[in-house]
Amino acid sequence: MTTATTATAVGEALRLPANAGSDLVVLDRVSIEFPRSRGSGHVVAVSDVSVSIRRGEKFVILGPSGCGKSTLLTALGGFIPVSSGAILVDGKAVSAPSMNRVLVFQDFGQLLPWRTVSGNVEWAVGKRWPSMKPRERKARAAHYIDIVGLGAQAGQYPNTLSGGQKQRCAIARAFAVQPAMLLMDEPFGALDAINRERMQYELNKVWASESEPVTIAFVTHDVNEAVHLGHRVMVMSRGPGRLRALIDNPCVGSPPHDEAALALVQELRDLLKDEP
Amino acid sequence: MSTINENARPAHKGGAPLPGTSSGVLKKVVVIVLLCLAWELTVRILKVNKLLFPPLSDVAVRLMHGLGFGGGSASGELWAYIWETLSVILQSFAISTALAILVTGLAISNIWMRETLSVMTGMFQPLPSIALLPMAILWFGFSRDSLVFVVVMAMVWPIASSLTVGFATISPTLLRLGRNYELGRFAMMKEILLPAALPMMISGLRVGWGFGWRTVVAAELVFGATGNGGGIGWFINNSRLFMNIGDGFAGILLVIIVGLVTESLFRLLQHFTTHKWGTESY
Ligand SMILES: Nc1ncnc2c1ncn2[C@@H]1O[C@H](COP(=O)(O)OP(=O)(O)OP(=O)(O)O)[C@@H](O)[C@H]1O
Ligand SMILES: [Mg+2]
Repeated sequence: MTTATTATAVGEALRLPANAGSDLVVLDRVSIEFPRSRGSGHVVAVSDVSVSIRRGEKFVILGPSGCGKSTLLTALGGFIPVSSGAILVDGKAVSAPSMNRVLVFQDFGQLLPWRTVSGNVEWAVGKRWPSMKPRERKARAAHYIDIVGLGAQAGQYPNTLSGGQKQRCAIARAFAVQPAMLLMDEPFGALDAINRERMQYELNKVWASESEPVTIAFVTHDVNEAVHLGHRVMVMSRGPGRLRALIDNPCVGSPPHDEAALALVQELRDLLKDEP
Repeated sequence: MSTINENARPAHKGGAPLPGTSSGVLKKVVVIVLLCLAWELTVRILKVNKLLFPPLSDVAVRLMHGLGFGGGSASGELWAYIWETLSVILQSFAISTALAILVTGLAISNIWMRETLSVMTGMFQPLPSIALLPMAILWFGFSRDSLVFVVVMAMVWPIASSLTVGFATISPTLLRLGRNYELGRFAMMKEILLPAALPMMISGLRVGWGFGWRTVVAAELVFGATGNGGGIGWFINNSRLFMNIGDGFAGILLVIIVGLVTESLFRLLQHFTTHKWGTESY
């Protein structure tokens, strides 16, 4: 098989599923404020964001450092409350964290250090389906560990893994519990450039391998990553934490140096640069 | 968080080497042998009164007899005494650990509990709990309960204070992970907080055990004066009464040996947990 056909095959698989289009998440004029650590008043982290995320798509939230991306994602997960507006998932307001929306962090410390790679994935599966038989649980964990290419490391403890391997394990764990939604906060942010590209490619692959693709909200400040991963890219600006643009991306999963993709990368870069 | 894991240990046949298998052990053995020789020879050459300070060989024979080795005259009585002491400290250890977990667990979620715990720890940790023995005797009589009370008072504070530090330094990411998987209070404690705080917990248990061990032997010595009780401290005190000073030294050696053995048990616990996971904080 030549590289060209591989790229096309992946491109095909990365198309949105048929049932895409219905909204899974609706953000309705969401603002999030933090109390100032000294003195009175508030820091506005996210201001008046309205957008919806479609079922089964990979939705990228792009923006400069400190523009409120993580804050918005954490609120989507139900870890912090919104100050005004509403976040609806499947029509219901988000009020608390749930296994139906799994967060993947940038932090390599998100694995349980006292469990092996397979132990971590099995633990999560066991939490999700407490009555699942051990054999089934193990098989399910092994399946996802294989998909992310950690089969050989399944019995190792996290402290013996490289950063990239830890993130793979975290991704396997997140996919294994089959959430309605994955919330990823710069999961590849601490990896080197080569590894990051490889992980982006693999994330696309894992996403496409699911019979019913999971909805992903992916936070990044890397423009190339945004174009490689996102069906749609939401650009935020530090003004503070506003929605600046929402862009459809036909180039998702395209090989590097694809011309259309490069043009889009340039467009996004300009959007980030000439902030008001 | 850096990409390089400073805690990871280089691979070794069958995992990290067991603690104490290095060449340092040889030096330790040499030093111990020299010390033993010095004891034996000093007593013999200076012709010290054996009734006051017996040579090591006498003590060793007493110890062996006390432990039931060495033919007809062997009594094996030491096992009963040491077990009496160990059972008191093990019971107190279990009570203290459970208490410490309960109290620090409550202190996590309640600010008043937290302040109370911090004040109480500050007050009682510097207090040698043997000072509470007279009150304990008033309350519980010359009983095992008095011993357990003072030993718990010696152990619970260091365990609680190191657990508090352990809980306070858990990474927010792991706490979020627990919330994400909808863990309740109890599951959060069991699956995230306790294992994550284990390095601090072990050092707290170690310190707690050390305090407890000293306290229980001291308390038994006091009990010995009343002719009550029956632990190793009591045995040591009795040897004075009956001028069996060799027995007293044998008892002291046994106390030291038990201390060393528990210390290596803690090392073993670390070897199979925090060292293997790379979560040791030092
Ligand atoms: N717990 C908090 N208390 C007070 N202010 C906060 C808190 N968390 C975030 N902020 C503020 O909210 C703003 C947005 O922070 P956020 O972490 O969401 O940025 P980000 O877009 O994720 O940045 P980065 O790309 O660097 O991760 C920042 O100005 C930050 O100082
Ligand atoms: Mg962030």
